[in-house]
Amino acid sequence: MENQANETGNNGIAVETSNITKSFGPVDVLKGVSMKFRRGEITALIGDNGAGKSTFLKCLSGEHKPTGGVIKFDGVPTELTSTLHAQEQGLEMVYQDLALSPDISVVENMFLGRETMKTGFGGKLGMVDRKRMRDDTIDILHDLGVNLKSYDVPTRSLSGGQRQAIAVTRAMKWAQRAVLLDEPTAALGSRQKELVYKAIREAANRNLAVVLVSHDLPQVMELADRINILRQGVDVGHFKPKDVTLRDVIDVMLGEGISNAEA
Amino acid sequence: MQKPEKHARPTLVSRVTRSTAFWMFLCLLALIVTFGLLSENMVFFNSSNFFTIALNASQLVLLAVGTSYLLGAGQLDLSIGSNLILASVLSGMTITGLAGTPAEIVAGEYPNLTFAVIAGVFVAIGSGSLFGLVNGLLVTKLRLNSFLVTIATTAIGLGLALVITHGANVPYIPRAMQTGFSIQKLFGVVPYPVVLAAIIVCIFWFILEKTRFGMRTLAIGSSVEAARRCGISTDRHTIILFVVMGALAGTSALLDISRFATTNISGHQTDALQAIAAAVIGGTSLFGGVASVIGAVVGTFIPAVLATGLVILRIDPFYQLIVIGLIIIAAVYIDQKNRDNR
Repeated sequence: MENQANETGNNGIAVETSNITKSFGPVDVLKGVSMKFRRGEITALIGDNGAGKSTFLKCLSGEHKPTGGVIKFDGVPTELTSTLHAQEQGLEMVYQDLALSPDISVVENMFLGRETMKTGFGGKLGMVDRKRMRDDTIDILHDLGVNLKSYDVPTRSLSGGQRQAIAVTRAMKWAQRAVLLDEPTAALGSRQKELVYKAIREAANRNLAVVLVSHDLPQVMELADRINILRQGVDVGHFKPKDVTLRDVIDVMLGEGISNAEA
Repeated sequence: MQKPEKHARPTLVSRVTRSTAFWMFLCLLALIVTFGLLSENMVFFNSSNFFTIALNASQLVLLAVGTSYLLGAGQLDLSIGSNLILASVLSGMTITGLAGTPAEIVAGEYPNLTFAVIAGVFVAIGSGSLFGLVNGLLVTKLRLNSFLVTIATTAIGLGLALVITHGANVPYIPRAMQTGFSIQKLFGVVPYPVVLAAIIVCIFWFILEKTRFGMRTLAIGSSVEAARRCGISTDRHTIILFVVMGALAGTSALLDISRFATTNISGHQTDALQAIAAAVIGGTSLFGGVASVIGAVVGTFIPAVLATGLVILRIDPFYQLIVIGLIIIAAVYIDQKNRDNR
């Protein structure tokens, strides 16, 4: 599949945050997080429980409004007002669970909220073009090697791995800028994880910035192009996996090493 | 690797045989054939008999279709019976109030009949919709469970109707509504209320099966959170569904007063339960995410056919209740089974 080439190039910074803070009442969850997310790269965001990973991701996805700091998209400072606004900015989020509606088909899930309408009079009546949506869905899933026995059965009949792979595929299909993933494989077995990781890699191959929150450190070391570590709301280290060992990463994550090697 | 072309759409047959509505339709046919063969001179097969049954089902089918949408979206409206009563009371009072002076009305003269009836139509559908809007706002804005909200509004709606009327049915509703509409037949065969109900059913079938609105309705019922994350304004959609349900109750109220030329304050207490039963018999899921308009029609006709059939066979019609109970159990069982198999 060809890259959806962008004028900013493969190493362009799609999303940049500077000094993001977020407080819930008296609790400061994020204490000034500055990160860059580049197109075509998977950036893993790791940290211990309560480090602020999910909160940070939700600031990017428009679910939370940061208390302070700036988010820039391709260099343009933007104040996100809602998840819908973030979607309009080309950001798509994949959740750990509840990503897809279980009773409707894969095709319907793929297009939910952004249905392809029929042209002409039918579209004016609100008719959806099921055939085109179905063809498009099969095309994109086929490109990813996700082969389903049927695209018309309720989504609940698929395995957890298939469902999550489809959720990632959907995000990739609609995202113009970045895909944000919050523990997308936490509920999956190891073989099912493979399917999802493959889809995540494909998202980066399509010149999207990928931000992955995960606890699966060994897998992250293999999959990610960069690893950013949060500890107690502070970003304490940016690494490239090939430069460090798993041990180093864990040390920084838990606060036993204090290296901050901007990679 | 498989080619995408190999993924043929499931055939019509395979889709149809998977649906509860199909099997319940076979049940309905079996009932009709059984009653037909057992009835004296096969009078049950008489076309006028079918249209009588359809006429009797015309009101409930509207409620069943609306209920299918709501259940499909994961909501419930138990207040439709009260809504219907209140709408018929307000509409009846509007019509009798506007059609002529009190003296003329009592004498059975209605100088402003056309204007009064048009106003009555608007009042019935308007009050029904408003009732639905209140339900929808309570459910979405206050985050209350629709089961409990609509139990409460059932009481409030009926209470309002009783307060307004002092407990007596609205008198002097013009007979012209019967003679001019509800006993009239299209081509001398199909009663107008049946025609009206059929048109409405077709529209709702189209919306559910073919449009974005229908697709989103079931998506919301399947997982409201997933739908919200896809950028769908689930609250707004849910409110619209409650309003539509209310409008259908208002329409049913119009059929009520035009068919019987009176309100029926003491009736309609089991309307909501009958509508839910019809929806569930037709394959609409109590758990949301699955709904069928055709199923709702079939589910409305099964009790209606049973009621008439038992009368024609001179069997105590109270058996109808027992049979319907058994059918509902079967339908719920199929729904459950389908979920397990998915």
